Amino acid sequence: MKKKYIMSAALLFSALLLAVLSRHSSFGGMQRYEATFLDVFDTVTSITGYAKSEEIFTEQVELLHAKLQRYHQLFDIYHSYEGVHNIKDINDAAGRRPVEADPEVIELLKLGQDMYRRTEGKVNIAYGSVLAVWHEYREAGIENPQNAQLPPADLLGACAEHTDISKLVIDEGAGTVFLEDEEMRLDVGSIGKGFAAQRLAEYAREIGMEHVLFSLGGNVCAVGAKADGTPWRVGIEKPRPEAQGSYVQAVELAGRSLVTSGDYQRYYEVDGRRYCHIIDPETGMPAEFFPSVTVMAEDSGMADAFSTALFVMGQEEGLALVEELEDVEALWVMEDGGIRCSSGFGIDEEE
Amino acid sequence: MKKNDFILIAGLLLAALAAFGGISWYLAADTQKAEAVVEVDGQEKGRYPLDQDTSVEIQLEDGSYNLLEIKDGRADITEASCPDKICVDHRPVSRRGESLVCLPNKVVVEIENGQEAEVDGMTH
Repeated sequence: MKKKYIMSAALLFSALLLAVLSRHSSFGGMQRYEATFLDVFDTVTSITGYAKSEEIFTEQVELLHAKLQRYHQLFDIYHSYEGVHNIKDINDAAGRRPVEADPEVIELLKLGQDMYRRTEGKVNIAYGSVLAVWHEYREAGIENPQNAQLPPADLLGACAEHTDISKLVIDEGAGTVFLEDEEMRLDVGSIGKGFAAQRLAEYAREIGMEHVLFSLGGNVCAVGAKADGTPWRVGIEKPRPEAQGSYVQAVELAGRSLVTSGDYQRYYEVDGRRYCHIIDPETGMPAEFFPSVTVMAEDSGMADAFSTALFVMGQEEGLALVEELEDVEALWVMEDGGIRCSSGFGIDEEE
Repeated sequence: MKKNDFILIAGLLLAALAAFGGISWYLAADTQKAEAVVEVDGQEKGRYPLDQDTSVEIQLEDGSYNLLEIKDGRADITEASCPDKICVDHRPVSRRGESLVCLPNKVVVEIENGQEAEVDGMTH
């Protein structure tokens, strides 16, 4: 009889101790570490993970960093790199000849073709010539706000003539890519980071990282859960330029990706009006349906593409699209600050 | 139950409470050590405890700068030469793992130690 009491008391004690210990970030001998770098995809990359020592974590992060730098070079449309067959090479040879492409570039472009079909053209990687015009005017406008201007409509219209994705010809057997339209340009901004994040997640597991949260410029991908088994908590940022770092909603994430498209971070102003970087292919103008939309999906590439697609659609139209899809959920932040969600988003009601 | 059982259970509860108190104290001690670590282009340039109000001008070789202010236990970039001012717009940070980033100037201010942040990451 007495033994029973001692046993239950001991159990109670262990339970209490465990509860106390689990509050601490160290678990099972794993410590939590963070790393940040600024040289990939022209944005901020942060990696949070658990490892037995800082040396192990640093080694793993260096491998991830190298992988990301490779994707950065492959998907670059502005620079060429020695010995790298990247998107710029394909663009430079438009209308002239098929060029050799890295197998991962071909994978990315196939994802682009697939996403074009699945989003009914809302995501179009062949939209580069229009995006290049906006990019140029936006950069000039940020550099010199007094003289910020909108691109002329006739220039945008002329560029929009050269965005037919069926002119993107991939020869997988030969490992080449050819743009049949000389004026057409690829821009993989809507899927590149998501594709890279997905590959990075797979690579992280290969090198033994089972609890990692990384963010490629706000494209967040969770490999597993935290070391103590609880999900990662990720904030959806308040879509106001002056509120960077505050969130409207926290989401629990384990083994899934979260990507936001919004009008509040990359934009410029012309005559006091804000023009964001995401262009609606239907109008050739920046989308302005709502301040932000966040997509949750298992595949980061899909999450990235659908967040762009939903950003250039009305909220109700987007909701109808999301509800038809399995494993894609979305949360919209409306102009009045209100939140709308698809049925399976599963937000933390305690917030 | 015998008297001894009560003593045993009370003793164990007290021990658990002590452990809880000890770890809470340890976490609180962690908070006191919270500091803002300034990195420029991946190189650590300085560490500033959050419990001492100060103002640091982060100067870059090309004349660019970010002004880091530490006040009331929080770190904030209040002025910068960069064109986008994303770092200035960012709210002040104070919790472990939170950071302020200026991409054009390659400046990262990250909080080390201190209280656990409410979220592990942010999507934007």
